[in-house]
Amino acid sequence: MWGPATVLPSRLTLSVLPGAGRFCFWRFGAAMRKDLAVPRRGLSSSCPQPLRHRELKQLSHQRYNRLYVGKSISSPKLAATVAEILQLEEKARHEVIMECSPGRGILTKALLETGASVIALESQKNFIPHLKSLDEKRNGKLKVVHCDFFKMDPSNCNTVKPPIMLSQELFPTLGIKANSWLEDTPFKIVGMFPINNEIKALWKLLHDLYTCSSIFSYGRVEVYMFISENQFEKLIAGPTKPELYHVLSVLWQLSCEMKLLLQKVPLSLFEMYTRDGLLVQKTPVKPQNQCFIQMIPRKDLFTEYLTPINYDIFFHMMKQCFGRRSALLIQHLHSLTPCDPLTIMNKAKIKASVKPSDIYPQDFKRLFKAIECSSDDDSKWLYDRVTEEVRC
Amino acid sequence: MAALRWGRGAAGLSWALRSPGRPCTTTKEGILDGLWGPRLNSSASPCEQERRKDWGHVELLEVLEARVRQLQAESVSEVTVKRVEVARVPADGGKAGGTAPPAKARVQPSGAWARKLERDRQLLQRQQALLKEEARGRSPLPAPRPKPSVKAEAKAKGRPKPEAMGKAVARSAAALEGKASSELRAKEKAQQNRLQTFLEGCLATGQVGLAHHMLVCYFTRPRRQRLLVPAMFNTVMRGWAQEGSYKELVSVLIMMRHLGFAPDLLSYTSILQCMGRVDQDVTTIRRCLQQMARDGLQLEQLFSEESLSPEERAALLRAVLKAKPNFRLPQPCPQVSPVELLQEVYAKDGPVSYPRLHLPLAELQALFRQQLHVELAGSMPVESVEKVSPTQEILQARKNLAALRKTWEAELHSQLRATKANLAQRSRRGTVTLYPFLCVLPEEELVQILLQVLFSLPAQGEPFVHTAHRLALQTFQRHILRQRSCRGHLQALEQRYAKYLGLLASDTQVAEPCLPRQHWEALGPPEPPPPQPWPLLELLLLGKLLLETLVQVTRLPASLASQPTAGHSVPVLFHVYTFRGVRQIGLLRPHPAFVRLASTLTFEATDMPMLCPPLPWSSSQAGGFLLSPIKLMGSLGGFPAAPALTQLGNCAWRVNGRLLDLVLEVFLDKGCCRLGVPPPVSEAPRPPLDQLAPDTQPHLKAQLRQEVARCLKVAREMHGLRQEALYRLSLAQHLRDRVFWLPHNMDFRGRTYPCPPHFNHLGSDLARALLEFAQGRPLGPRGLDWLKIHLVNLTGLKKREPLHARLSFADAMMDDILDSAERPMTGRKWWMEADDPWQTLACCMEVARAVQSPDPAAYVSHLPVHQDGSCNGLQHYAALGRDSVGAASVNLASSDVPQDVYSGVAAQVEVFRAQDAQKGVKVAQVLEGFIGRKVVKQTVMTVVYGVTLYGGRLQIEKRLRELPTFPQVFVWEASRYLVHLVFKSLREMFSGTRTIQHWLTQSARLISQAGSAVEWVTPLGIPIIQPYHRESKLVIRGGLQSVTWNSSVDSSQQPNTLKQKNGFPPNFIHSLDSCHMMLTALHCYRKGLTFVSVHDCFWTHACDVSFINEVCREQFVRLHSQPILEDLAAFLERRFCREDEDGAQAQGDTGHSAKLLEMLRAVPQKGDFDLQQVKGSTYFFS
Repeated sequence: MWGPATVLPSRLTLSVLPGAGRFCFWRFGAAMRKDLAVPRRGLSSSCPQPLRHRELKQLSHQRYNRLYVGKSISSPKLAATVAEILQLEEKARHEVIMECSPGRGILTKALLETGASVIALESQKNFIPHLKSLDEKRNGKLKVVHCDFFKMDPSNCNTVKPPIMLSQELFPTLGIKANSWLEDTPFKIVGMFPINNEIKALWKLLHDLYTCSSIFSYGRVEVYMFISENQFEKLIAGPTKPELYHVLSVLWQLSCEMKLLLQKVPLSLFEMYTRDGLLVQKTPVKPQNQCFIQMIPRKDLFTEYLTPINYDIFFHMMKQCFGRRSALLIQHLHSLTPCDPLTIMNKAKIKASVKPSDIYPQDFKRLFKAIECSSDDDSKWLYDRVTEEVRC
Repeated sequence: MAALRWGRGAAGLSWALRSPGRPCTTTKEGILDGLWGPRLNSSASPCEQERRKDWGHVELLEVLEARVRQLQAESVSEVTVKRVEVARVPADGGKAGGTAPPAKARVQPSGAWARKLERDRQLLQRQQALLKEEARGRSPLPAPRPKPSVKAEAKAKGRPKPEAMGKAVARSAAALEGKASSELRAKEKAQQNRLQTFLEGCLATGQVGLAHHMLVCYFTRPRRQRLLVPAMFNTVMRGWAQEGSYKELVSVLIMMRHLGFAPDLLSYTSILQCMGRVDQDVTTIRRCLQQMARDGLQLEQLFSEESLSPEERAALLRAVLKAKPNFRLPQPCPQVSPVELLQEVYAKDGPVSYPRLHLPLAELQALFRQQLHVELAGSMPVESVEKVSPTQEILQARKNLAALRKTWEAELHSQLRATKANLAQRSRRGTVTLYPFLCVLPEEELVQILLQVLFSLPAQGEPFVHTAHRLALQTFQRHILRQRSCRGHLQALEQRYAKYLGLLASDTQVAEPCLPRQHWEALGPPEPPPPQPWPLLELLLLGKLLLETLVQVTRLPASLASQPTAGHSVPVLFHVYTFRGVRQIGLLRPHPAFVRLASTLTFEATDMPMLCPPLPWSSSQAGGFLLSPIKLMGSLGGFPAAPALTQLGNCAWRVNGRLLDLVLEVFLDKGCCRLGVPPPVSEAPRPPLDQLAPDTQPHLKAQLRQEVARCLKVAREMHGLRQEALYRLSLAQHLRDRVFWLPHNMDFRGRTYPCPPHFNHLGSDLARALLEFAQGRPLGPRGLDWLKIHLVNLTGLKKREPLHARLSFADAMMDDILDSAERPMTGRKWWMEADDPWQTLACCMEVARAVQSPDPAAYVSHLPVHQDGSCNGLQHYAALGRDSVGAASVNLASSDVPQDVYSGVAAQVEVFRAQDAQKGVKVAQVLEGFIGRKVVKQTVMTVVYGVTLYGGRLQIEKRLRELPTFPQVFVWEASRYLVHLVFKSLREMFSGTRTIQHWLTQSARLISQAGSAVEWVTPLGIPIIQPYHRESKLVIRGGLQSVTWNSSVDSSQQPNTLKQKNGFPPNFIHSLDSCHMMLTALHCYRKGLTFVSVHDCFWTHACDVSFINEVCREQFVRLHSQPILEDLAAFLERRFCREDEDGAQAQGDTGHSAKLLEMLRAVPQKGDFDLQQVKGSTYFFS
């Protein structure tokens, strides 16, 4: 019963349920973990060397995906372009840039060369010695932390151990101070969305953003990310492209100013590596061009009616509205509030015969406001926060 | 086999091309002659019989090709041969004639021709099997030899390329058993099930005509005909037999034979029964019996059919007696002798003093009538103990609501009627619908059930699926109730029950003392089992239909308080979604204004304790409540479980009134968390939102958010607890001054549970304290001492002191005890500090009364005294492995002071830690001084129940976090280190335990990997199957929302290896502890003691504690004297390692089987502990 497989420290697997958006962790059973009998060390930790590309065993597609962890820029030219874009102004010499999953550090080098301070959050232990070696001549401009950016601040705090960290413990040690929401942006984050769970990562960032927690408790952090073209199109879609218009589109467009910085970057300029730090030769998913985008949270995201306290009701409303696209908005309102839907739509100045995909994000915000002011007691929503809060 | 099928399929096809009819090889047989004479003979003309010769001579490939081509012509786009079986004609190919779908079936819109091939194949397979069976049964007839059809031959000639054809066929052969065909089969199966259920539903509501009509609809449509199976015909025939309609029955029989099905036992039962009813002449009956004999069926078998009602049986007997006047009913076979462990219980010799109730017969009979009344009503309104004086506004709203209810009733009524009419129409057109299920109850009753559901929905809503399921189940239960409450069933029940009470009442005599169940069975014939619940699909469909009607109909005016005005109205039930992960769960939420108006509580009859002794369990579906069906979760396995369950249910209870008063006082006055009385929601913390300035910064609001969420959560939890307590106390108040009984049910492992969920002895301290035995017993010489010891046990203060020390502690505290009893709320409140305060208080009062009575030994006590197993799971493991060290630490060996296993483990862990600390292990040094009983307790306790390193670490982490002085940075490392030490220590102390656990786990793994669920039989002979399977999903689309029902207990699915493996050790131990409990219960019953159990905690009267202890130890020794593990291994070997007869097992499989065999034969070695020591151990159960 207590075989060696179970004696290993339990490995946590990230698994997010795309709908609800929160990260949630669970553990693979022993039987599943046993399957992962691949060589464990890709790089000896004592002497930093460039990674040799190793042949990966032929694995079934499914396992492949599970093993696969992240990607990073492999082309120095692309790295230089990105660094240039990030350092828009000359005075940005003393700016802090946080880089997630730098991998072999090609972008890190480029960033350091522009003179900025870089904090590298690397989830793979194997890369860390190599990354640290980059800092040798830069007198402390580079800080390397063993941390997984996309798993930071998990919702259940029982499982916090590197590379999962808490921002409130990590950031003070890095000397980062919080700015308030209305002040300037405190620092920049640059990275790539994990290739096979972009949606999960997008949801996690959204939750953090609307609750002003995790990195966003330090103010309106500028986020620069590589994202797949498809996903980006969905994010910026509106009623003009109803087939792409989506819950995420509404929530992101409301919360951030999004700007496309680079487009059609081929996936071949990136390298992917597995959980064990092995480089992947063949892309595990359909190769897709990447976009480099800028997301800056809006100052006016929160209003008197939409606050971090009731953001979850807004999220719920959006999910409900896009749940059955063919239904009219007025039918969805029946499931959202006991108030009279027609009155509310009139108040929000929305026509009665529209579908959810016919109206703009701002209209949803107005609709939310209309319901929020409809009555004083707590029976203006049918939403039940407690049943929603229960997470697996 | 495959070849045969193809040969015949092709041949049959050609035959069918020529003749639109069907071959009928069974026309000239005895019974049919008698039944329909010459009518059918015409269908088998001599010329046709001639044609059927020599079918086997067809060149296979040609015909095959012809069929493929034909189908290709229908669907040009689909060229690949998908589901064709490749075959060669075997030597005896085409012995018997087969049929193919009639020509009409083939003229179809183009499309899945391959499906048709499959269909042909299935049809042939079925008929082949049937023909084989028939051939075995009767004298060999010259089998018709089919001739190749001229047309087919002609067609075939035009086609060259037999090789290409062969290839295509070969390729497709592999795909044959593929997914598509199995899906198709599953779909067909589902359709068949629905039809069968429909027919049965029609029968249950007395609409045999509709069932017959549906059958004919299917029979006459060739595409549907293939769905028909003999069981459907049997069902309809049975319906006609019950009605005594002979002609209709025969017409069903004709249809059946026409499809080539031979009548089976059930068919003959119906035929004969019907003959009995219509008083058929002797010759026909005789011919029927002869035919039956030819089919190889025995006359006696007819009567062994369990589902027959006595009335049907009588009709059947009438017919048989007419033909065979000297036929005698077969005597029920004598019951098998009980397993060895139980023989003593059933032994006739020796002193037997079965307990009796304290009530006289007449009173019990009156109670029976009360209970009957409750069950007939179905549900029971109970006044809530929480009295809130309603405002004028609410009163007005309630009045309006009552008026509204009337309109809802009327509207629901008409709506249901309209639905019914619509469904009836569709059924008449030949669609399987829900019509018969809607008909089981009259509309009025359905409306009442619906409104009850409406009024009982919780404020935060309930998942739509659950409500629908509940609703349909309720409908089914009411249906059974109705069935049982008519047909003279009630009188029969009352008479039999009155006789049964003779065994229990205080003022009656019985000839021979026996167990209640034996007595019950002796009093009359066994009752037919109640009908099975409807299949899940029907339940969900019905529930959905009803619920959607309810949602649609019920509407409220915008404001309830004002006079209802026409016009603007809002729905009462909102359909909302909650998003949980990828799932989207539909909930029904009542309107917030509607919820505030609820005033009384309504309980289902099955949720209330019974007012008379429960019926003894006689089958897995009959027992407990008088009329309402409850389904036993586990299987009774004949002998042992049923009497034990019956006996546990026979204990009479009453409410401890004085205590109830005190609890109510606290409950109505804001509750008290320390005492386990939940406070009302108004006491919940309020989120500090009121002081929030409107221009607060978002990050400040973000900080508030957490607080708001926490407050909400607390409030919701408080509401849940408060509601639970409200139910319990309201029921207690309702039952005050009455005697009541708690019928028991059993889970799949054999553990017993009381059925009424809200008010029973299984709950918290508060729940237990409210109950006491209705029957009192004088304390006797030692009773008072046991009461005092019990009192000290409940306080939890002297767990590790010997009994005499506890007793003297009680004597020393007598002042406090008396004070608590007299002034519980105003005095020194000593009882409030106890582990179980309310039970302590109840015990204090009992002790006080006993001490203050003139003769304590004569004081009649009602208070249950508990004897608790100390870490019962480990006790069983230690006994199984005969671990000396382990046995001593869980009190199996006699000792002067009670041993504490947790301290033992903690000490062992400390030893290991000290060793490591010396070696310089950092964590070990950090942990110095922090290892105590508390840190390891939870892990040790749960290790028997399969806690893993992962879970264990979390438990220890929690404990370490609670320690204020422990450096928190080390928590993770230390907990990981400690959990390993705990497991290591347990391995050291309970060496046998770990080996046995490992052995059980590995065996379970091998068994479930081979594709079966783990099964075993307990030493008492109760069969157990672990119901852990992969999830199966049932989805119903359309309507208000699609409904998905996930089930992991569907035994047709593959077993879930992880759960089977991890579940086996704890379940096995649970099955052993339930055996021990049952053995103790039965032996106590024989000695006349009152006995109740909460798993490993045994309850009895204070005067009987020493007896119960003795019995308990004795039975433990007897149980473990059996070669339990060896028996288990032998059983598993027999069950799972059979040498397969077909020998066609894959190589990997045989290797697997060998591994399992090897594992099973390596039964863990036993230690040298002497089991007899248990008999002398005072603290084994204490």
